[in-house]
Amino acid sequence: MPIHRAIEPGAAWTELVVTDADWDAASAELLTAMLSQLVLIRTFEEFVLDLAAKGLIHGPAHSSIGQEGGAVGSCISLTSRDTVNGSHRGHHQFLAKVLTHLHPDGIDPAKPVPEDVREALLRTLREICGLARGFSRGRGGSMHLRWDEAGAIGTNAIVGGGVPLAAGSAWAHKHAGTDAVAVSYFGDGAMNIGSVLETFNLAAAWSLPLCFFVENNQYAVSTHIAEVTAETRLSGRGPGFGIRSWKVDGMDPLAVHLVLQEALEHLRAGRGPVLVEAEVYRYFHQNGPFPGSAFRYRTKEEERQWRQRDPLDTVARHLVRRGILAQEDIAGCIQQAKELMAELGEVILEPKPDGKPNEKRIKPQEWPDAGIVDEGVRGDLSELAELPFTDLGDHAGELVESSFIGAIAGVLARRMETDPRVVVMGEDVHRLNGGTNGATRGLSERFPERVLGTPISENAFAGLGGGLAMDGRFRPIVEFMYADFMWVAADQLFNQIGKARHMFGGTGTVPLVLRSKVAMGTGYGSQHSMDPAGIFATAPGWRIVAPSTPYDYIGLMNTALACDDPVVVLEHVDLYQSRGPTIADDYDHYLPVGKAAVRRRGSAITVITYLAMTQYVLAAVEDVGIDAEVIDLRWLDRASLDWDTIAASVQKCNTVLIAEQGTQGTSYGGWLADEIQRRLFDWLDAPIERVTGGEASPSISKVLERAAFAGTEEVAAKLRQMAEV
Amino acid sequence: MPEILRMPEVAANTTEAVVSSWNVSLNTPYAAGETIVTVETEKAAVDIEAEAEGTLLRLLAEEGQTVAVGSPIAVWGHPDENQDAVDALVAALDLPAGSTVGGDAGNESPAEVAAAGAAHDGAGTASSGHGGRIFASPIARKLAAEAGLDLAAVVGTGPNHSIRRRDVEAALAVSRAAGASDSGPDTGASPPPARQETGPVAVRADFEDVPLSRMRQAIARRLVDSKHSAPHFYLRATVRVDRLLDVRRELGGDAGAAVTINDLIVRAVAVAHSRVPGLNVRWNGDSVRQYRHADIAIAVATEHGLVTPVVCGVDTMSIGQLARRTRELIQRAHNRRLRQEELEGGSITVTNLGMFGIEEFAAIINPPHAAILAVGAASQQPHVVDGELQVATIMRLCLSVDHRPVDGATAAEWMRELTGILEHPVRILA
Ligand SMILES: Cc1ncc(C[n+]2csc(CCOP(=O)(O)OP(=O)(O)O)c2C)c(N)n1
Ligand SMILES: [Mg+2]
Repeated sequence: MPIHRAIEPGAAWTELVVTDADWDAASAELLTAMLSQLVLIRTFEEFVLDLAAKGLIHGPAHSSIGQEGGAVGSCISLTSRDTVNGSHRGHHQFLAKVLTHLHPDGIDPAKPVPEDVREALLRTLREICGLARGFSRGRGGSMHLRWDEAGAIGTNAIVGGGVPLAAGSAWAHKHAGTDAVAVSYFGDGAMNIGSVLETFNLAAAWSLPLCFFVENNQYAVSTHIAEVTAETRLSGRGPGFGIRSWKVDGMDPLAVHLVLQEALEHLRAGRGPVLVEAEVYRYFHQNGPFPGSAFRYRTKEEERQWRQRDPLDTVARHLVRRGILAQEDIAGCIQQAKELMAELGEVILEPKPDGKPNEKRIKPQEWPDAGIVDEGVRGDLSELAELPFTDLGDHAGELVESSFIGAIAGVLARRMETDPRVVVMGEDVHRLNGGTNGATRGLSERFPERVLGTPISENAFAGLGGGLAMDGRFRPIVEFMYADFMWVAADQLFNQIGKARHMFGGTGTVPLVLRSKVAMGTGYGSQHSMDPAGIFATAPGWRIVAPSTPYDYIGLMNTALACDDPVVVLEHVDLYQSRGPTIADDYDHYLPVGKAAVRRRGSAITVITYLAMTQYVLAAVEDVGIDAEVIDLRWLDRASLDWDTIAASVQKCNTVLIAEQGTQGTSYGGWLADEIQRRLFDWLDAPIERVTGGEASPSISKVLERAAFAGTEEVAAKLRQMAEV
Repeated sequence: MPEILRMPEVAANTTEAVVSSWNVSLNTPYAAGETIVTVETEKAAVDIEAEAEGTLLRLLAEEGQTVAVGSPIAVWGHPDENQDAVDALVAALDLPAGSTVGGDAGNESPAEVAAAGAAHDGAGTASSGHGGRIFASPIARKLAAEAGLDLAAVVGTGPNHSIRRRDVEAALAVSRAAGASDSGPDTGASPPPARQETGPVAVRADFEDVPLSRMRQAIARRLVDSKHSAPHFYLRATVRVDRLLDVRRELGGDAGAAVTINDLIVRAVAVAHSRVPGLNVRWNGDSVRQYRHADIAIAVATEHGLVTPVVCGVDTMSIGQLARRTRELIQRAHNRRLRQEELEGGSITVTNLGMFGIEEFAAIINPPHAAILAVGAASQQPHVVDGELQVATIMRLCLSVDHRPVDGATAAEWMRELTGILEHPVRILA
């Protein structure tokens, strides 16, 4: 008979319960400050629901009415340096953080609402209505509320999507040498999504000052928590990751406050992340002004019982009980908030012309100018204005032959040496003498704090990098061992990192570099052999560089690192062992954004290519003996493409071939062909031709793999065919 | 409301014209019918008259600037028009600085090209009389259009016989070679410049490449087009013109009009046309146009190049009227004051190099005419009549004919009529 020994989790898991004695011990200032926030947030949200009922909110209005206790109780002891983010249901957290930022010592409920609070509420209302003078110029709306200055770093419409970003913020707090913390709010539904669970692990592994704050309101839209998880005690998730965890009654703001006191002490002492599960209840349905019971997934009785635990009433009751405020004071405070909201409504609304009595509309001048629709997808590159751009021909220095992989390790080392903001992370980047390919050789010995071997959690560490980039104090270089893993991290790459700048109004920066390895030809098969260029080219926000020589790698990496936009640097394994001229001992040169390289001059056919395919195209051109002009694009994204070089070549040759190695479906050249025929139609003498791989992803078997992607032979065949027609 | 004045399409199928002078000043009221601006096409200067009274408020094209047809050249309106309205109107045009300047089409933005295309829609259809669609690559179309080459006459070697760039270049090379073997100033049309190839060129300073004037370009294009698309055949004849010279001498004293030999020949052509209408035609591509009157172009060599004003209704004119009208047209041709419509129409050109002592030459048909009559010098020569040697004044004629609308026999009949008329000049006056 085997023996069973009970195992205790390493991290504590407790429930904190307050008593009347705690209420008696709480300071009057704390309680009145809580009351003011609760009243302002509640009244604000009621007003928003009222607008929603009148059809004046475009999109969902996810109210948190009923849940304010968790937000107010937690935010009230944060400083402005502490950061918070949240999810689709984030009005209450955003406002609680903003109000605490504006008035850290509390807002007196007996006094008129301060002017700066009025301004912040108006700006929030404008954002929720999608208006020009909202925090994000009306682009974000209810689900994307950000005010960096207040430490509110942005709410998120992807369930769980903001959590890895908060880890980036926490990493920055820690490594900037501060004791600030990050709080990430999310719902019970988010507890089951990978990005959250991955981030639990990552934050605990790296001991980040991050508070995971789950508002367990028992429902994800209409789905009850018990239907989707066997362990409904969500704070139980923490100990499994080594995270100190609490459960608390979120309807009780004081209880939440007391938990946060303990949690903050833990966080600020550098003891790693915490998990707080606050039991709350939203009185209304997922969105809009109707209760959940109207949709029959719960009962009126259940709602009634929760309403008896209302956080606002609870605080008011104790204030009256302790004689700090009279009932009339509280009524007056609520009345004043209602009047304020009505007045703010007047600012943005007007009677609808020809409408029914009392029918309102948004004042036309409040809407954003539709002309800004694409503004700020990327930055204007002004941050690069002072850089000394050079190309290989411009240097006086001695030329030496270098290996491509040496150029990577060399430039990364040089940048880490000169710029303490540069952080490298990825799987095994710290071991194996420079990761799986030697690209990070020597870095972890020299910069152990900034070379981070990650867990296998592409979504979490890409997102952490994204959060770090948005924070602005660091310049992360995230490495993906294989390009195909971008699908694993797709939410963070495309929904978060790529869209963030634009979505939050176009001004924030996201200086992230993603090194992504293209490995077709190495026998790693269907899931390790993609070229991601075509996918990144469809994603707004990203810039793409594809260096094909050691010199270009150095120049492009330096520019990518200096750029305030996310840049994916494509690396091809075929190039790692290649050699080429570089400038002796110079890792400080920059290649300009949007400048392609003409690798061969010719007048018969313009061949447009990039990355490793460049060398195969050049070989094919020699083979066939055709006078082709070969353009190595270097920059592939829509905003950085070198149209001058392309146009000049097409006008000369009149015939175009776009050549790339990867599969048809995700190939890059389709949009480019479209754009070329649009811009240069009158100069074309034949349809634009393309070389790509096949439909299927390359297989493991060597012959099948070679048949699946394109190289010299395919290009040569196409060139011959084009020459014959 | 201020309004836009756009470059008019002063001649069918012109795509651009030069603003040669603004004839009223900015902010100075003008009356309806007053000439506002003179624009110059390849062949003519055209006065644009005001449709209504008004004032020029803003010039959008300078003198000397080439402007695409349909593009704005000025804003006009009431003298006291609101400046903001003018600004708004100009802003709405969204003109990049200098965008109305033509030149290298490669520099035009897609929007400009589209706008220009839209402006030409009406005219474009008129020229597509060739039946089915011609498949040609975009660059082939562009090069052909620049060279005035009709794609219908080009054989395509691309997929499905589509016309590729190389086909247009080959066609242009052929017409260049053909052009070189024809003689005479009429045929001196050089082919359009081949697109410049880059590459090392040995530079020697013993020549100068004179840039093409607009007129030279037009001549080149039209005549290449003619040689290329109109299959020429040539009929030669010798006429004895002693009596014609007598008649001219007699008419010389006629009031106000010194009649020239050429006038008499033009008149003779009109009579021949009425006798053999089969030559008074033109090729339309899908039909043959039969003219009812004799509209005859005369080739005038000016210092700027060759122009061919048309004398309309020669068949209805007295010889005196014809002489006056001809003299006036020639005068204005030298002064570059011909109007576009005076350069259009007709079925035949009369060209005469007799004053240079040229005995005989073959000319290239001036499209869309069906024929051109080349007239040589009149000179005394031995001449045999009924086995007896005489001294006679002889003139040689060469008629170039477009074989598409006219067969050899018709042309020969016409030529016989013409020589008969010239040798019996009373018929001219009939
Ligand atoms: C990844 C993802 N899947 C689905 C949705 C659609 N969606 C938005 S909110 C929501 C429910 C979220 O429930 P929970 O996390 O408990 O938050 P609550 O609404 O209760 O605050 C769902 C399914 C989404 N936005 N993102
Ligand atoms: Mg929930």
